Amino acid sequence: MNIDTFSKLQKEGLISDEEMQRVTHTETTRLFSLHWEIKTALYLGVLLLSGGLGILVYKNIDTIGHQVILLFIALLCIGCYAYCFRHRPPFSREKTESPNAFYDYALLLGSLTFVTFIGYLQYQYTAFGTAYGLATFIPMVVLFATAYYFDHLGILSMAITNLAAWAGIAITPFQVLSQNDFSNHSLIYTGAVLGAALVGMAELSEKRDFKKHFAFSYRNFGVHIFFIATIAGMCIFEKWYFLWFLLAAAGVYLTWYRAFRDHSFYFILLAVLYGYIAFTILLTRTVFHQLGDIYGGFLYVIASSVAIIFFLVNLSKKIKQQ
Amino acid sequence: MIAWPTTTLDNFDIQNEAAKAHRQGCISTETLEAVRAAHPAKLYTPHPITRVGLFILTTIVATFTAGFLVLLSITSESMSVFRVMLVIASLLCIGALEFAISQKGSYRSGINEALLWSAVGLLCTGIFLESHNTSEKTVALVVFGLTVLGTLRYADMVSSAVAYLSFLLLIFWQALYIPYGLQALPFLLMALSLAVYLIATKMEKRPALRHYADCLTLLRVLSLITLYMAGNYYVVRETTNSMFMLELKPGQGIPGGWIFWILTVVIPPLYIFLGVRKKDAVLLRTGIILIAMIVFTIRYYHSVMPLETAMVIGGLVLTGGAWALIRYLHTPKNGFTYAASDEPGMADRLKVESLIIAQTFTPGARPADTGTNFGGGSGGGGGASGDF
Repeated sequence: MNIDTFSKLQKEGLISDEEMQRVTHTETTRLFSLHWEIKTALYLGVLLLSGGLGILVYKNIDTIGHQVILLFIALLCIGCYAYCFRHRPPFSREKTESPNAFYDYALLLGSLTFVTFIGYLQYQYTAFGTAYGLATFIPMVVLFATAYYFDHLGILSMAITNLAAWAGIAITPFQVLSQNDFSNHSLIYTGAVLGAALVGMAELSEKRDFKKHFAFSYRNFGVHIFFIATIAGMCIFEKWYFLWFLLAAAGVYLTWYRAFRDHSFYFILLAVLYGYIAFTILLTRTVFHQLGDIYGGFLYVIASSVAIIFFLVNLSKKIKQQ
Repeated sequence: MIAWPTTTLDNFDIQNEAAKAHRQGCISTETLEAVRAAHPAKLYTPHPITRVGLFILTTIVATFTAGFLVLLSITSESMSVFRVMLVIASLLCIGALEFAISQKGSYRSGINEALLWSAVGLLCTGIFLESHNTSEKTVALVVFGLTVLGTLRYADMVSSAVAYLSFLLLIFWQALYIPYGLQALPFLLMALSLAVYLIATKMEKRPALRHYADCLTLLRVLSLITLYMAGNYYVVRETTNSMFMLELKPGQGIPGGWIFWILTVVIPPLYIFLGVRKKDAVLLRTGIILIAMIVFTIRYYHSVMPLETAMVIGGLVLTGGAWALIRYLHTPKNGFTYAASDEPGMADRLKVESLIIAQTFTPGARPADTGTNFGGGSGGGGGASGDF
């Protein structure tokens, strides 16, 4: 806070002396926070450690025996979990405060090493035989359990990513478009169902009041994967694209309705943008396709984008006033 | 000079400060309302998420408008019509930007940034398209001039960054013509960066330049980075090698290399030391980021240890160090605390951290895979820097 600004406000008589004192006191006794630096160091440390261990294991498979490696990974994993068990806050349906940042990242390291452990077991000993699904299913269950038991949003995201991987889709934020082959029909069906299911999970956790703050993560992944799948469906299917448009439109309506209730700019924006994309594809497939007029297409994009901009500006003003 | 009325910007700042004080429980809600009523600011600054959306949409509009104009000119054979169309599109962007500011009070709304950057980009394309004789110096000079104007009028942070970098590039090309310019170049660039850092630090506190404070902070960060990069052994060696065809063999050093090795290793810890002494987040964080550059530079020339060992040791050092710091700062010491600052950032509200974790996490063996990717792939994503 800027003391000069407040002393000016005090002179104008807008701020009382007592409030001015409180501002000055807060500002002069403010400590320099190293929170961001420490958290970044922890995060990088955990990433480097789990990545480095992975490579180390991979390169030395022939020299150190497998049992030794497995034992080491298992020990690290157990150590992390043991630390978290000792320091965990009591379980609650609500959000629990973690004792410190180190706890969060120890849990993260434990989960990462557990996934490595299972993957290694499957790779080296084919412990699950040809039931490949099991090799992603077990980590998924453990990740979900960890996320709920210890209340960790990051691990919840990992669990959701793993759930999608189990279903055969990559949904990490930067790879959702590049890693998936959307010309594969079954992938589109899976995506739409998975997206709807994740949004359903968000609704459930809010309704049942069970870990309410997890709802955002569920809904975020769910909404994106649902819209991407339905829009891909509109592009791929020759005959049924209108059906996929109806699905997308229903998704837009529900997201919009929900977002307005929660005052969430983010989901309103998603509904508007995805809805706009779906509508434009529908127009392209029906009207512009027949006209074959490139100038008309350009003019449509310009005019409609300007319209959406004005719409969004008015919308955000309206929501701010509420 | 600046596009918005200064009283409006001042009132906007006052409102923000008052809101901050209110969040920290220093002033009452009635006082906040009174301050807001006494200092009205009619600016349109949406939620950061809406900003991203508006930025995307405005970029689409600008792209398609330029494309439409170019389509109109495509029948003509001469290049100049094409260029004129690009310049017209750029002027249209500036016109729209001025309209949005004066009529709608648009301020850092995503629309501003999209229109300004499109205008500069289109204008540069229009000027330099198909002109093969222009030297690098001219390009740098034109970009510098345009971005300086953009910074002064719209106080845009990215414009100020581009202006600074193009300025350094201009010096770089110019210095090559001076005798012994090449040898002096790293030191010249370092001196310039230092000068810019000192000037920006001074100006940041000047009340007259309060509306440019964010630009100046960015300049400080950038000048610290360029100061380091100009003296970094890797940068100096590889630049001189590739630009002047010295054909250095691997393992062969550059004349006076030891100076650059010292600079490479000494500067980041110096930044951190000064940052801790002065409690300056800019110095401290830049220093921390540049530590990674030291590691990279040393590892590039000397394979001290295999990568995976380095990763494991680095991971242990970072985690252990952070753990020790958390314990040490359990009660605040010397004005430092571990507790989070009381301003909830955008990152917290959007749960960015959990998204980054999901991004850097490689799920176990995927059904279709042969099962080779057991957790190893996550090392490369380390560049993501936690949450802001």
